[in-house]
Amino acid sequence: MANHEHEHVDTEGSGDYTPGYYEILERSLAELLVEKGRIRADEIRREIEVLDSRNPALGARLVARAWSDANFKNRLLANGRKACEELGITSYEDTELIVLENTETVHNLVVCTLCSCYPRAVLGLPPDWYKLKPYRARAVKEPRTLLREFGTIIPDDTAIHVSDATAQVRYLVLPQRPAGTEDFTEDELASLVTRDSMIGVVQLGSIPSPSEVVR
Amino acid sequence: MSAGNHEAADWLPNDLGGVATAPFERIDHPMLPWEKRCHALADVLDFRKIISTEEKRRGVEALGESTINKLSYYERWAVCFANLLFAKGVITPEELALKMAEVGSRFAV
Repeated sequence: MANHEHEHVDTEGSGDYTPGYYEILERSLAELLVEKGRIRADEIRREIEVLDSRNPALGARLVARAWSDANFKNRLLANGRKACEELGITSYEDTELIVLENTETVHNLVVCTLCSCYPRAVLGLPPDWYKLKPYRARAVKEPRTLLREFGTIIPDDTAIHVSDATAQVRYLVLPQRPAGTEDFTEDELASLVTRDSMIGVVQLGSIPSPSEVVR
Repeated sequence: MSAGNHEAADWLPNDLGGVATAPFERIDHPMLPWEKRCHALADVLDFRKIISTEEKRRGVEALGESTINKLSYYERWAVCFANLLFAKGVITPEELALKMAEVGSRFAV
């Protein structure tokens, strides 16, 4: 494709690639909006870079810092967005970030029953299962059973709090710090934190002590 | 219709909390390039105050359950954007039809 105007949509490269109907729709909408001056092609390119820059490693850094620094944890629980800014993590969109702390007595689970709202500034884009019907429908109805299907057994005497995200309010779970990590550095702690633990569908296992590993 | 029949009013098509569904499966797929562009377009439309995230959600809901069930996640977004851009007078159906023919012809063998 030699036409410079259309460069922004030419990411599949040349050759025998044939886009489907909905991809042609997407390309056409973007091109019309650019031609009409309502958006600029470089804005779409820039947003793709932003999307690519967001992933669960950012959330893991927040969690590791909160585990390491009680004052930071308090600030994170008080105002997620401001605490993110302390680590240089900006929010895009005008969204509030509420961080929910797991404890011995409360396990948190995040869902968006209406669509797919997700703390993407700190986790990136959600997995498909988060956006599909079964998870959305069941998380608020039978969270304990659903979690069991993730292999997550929540004891009956632990309450499960389910938080339903919206376009304006996004939730992130602060998992419990695994036992056996007392001597871990912040980077080592961050490496333990998974995306699913920050959605609340899994818990982080304890780290075996060196003597257990030897055995 | 009996006075007690309120099921139809209880749930909008996208309000899925508590409804019966297929069993849960841990499904995921790597995002396709056009899906990522579609997501980026949504962000730009929101940032440029052309279509907000909430309008997009309602626009998808307005497609109706049978259409929603036939389309993939980003296919719904693309159709919803077209509908909302028509409704807002940003583009016309004729312009879109011509542009889609032009874009399609670029890929024709």
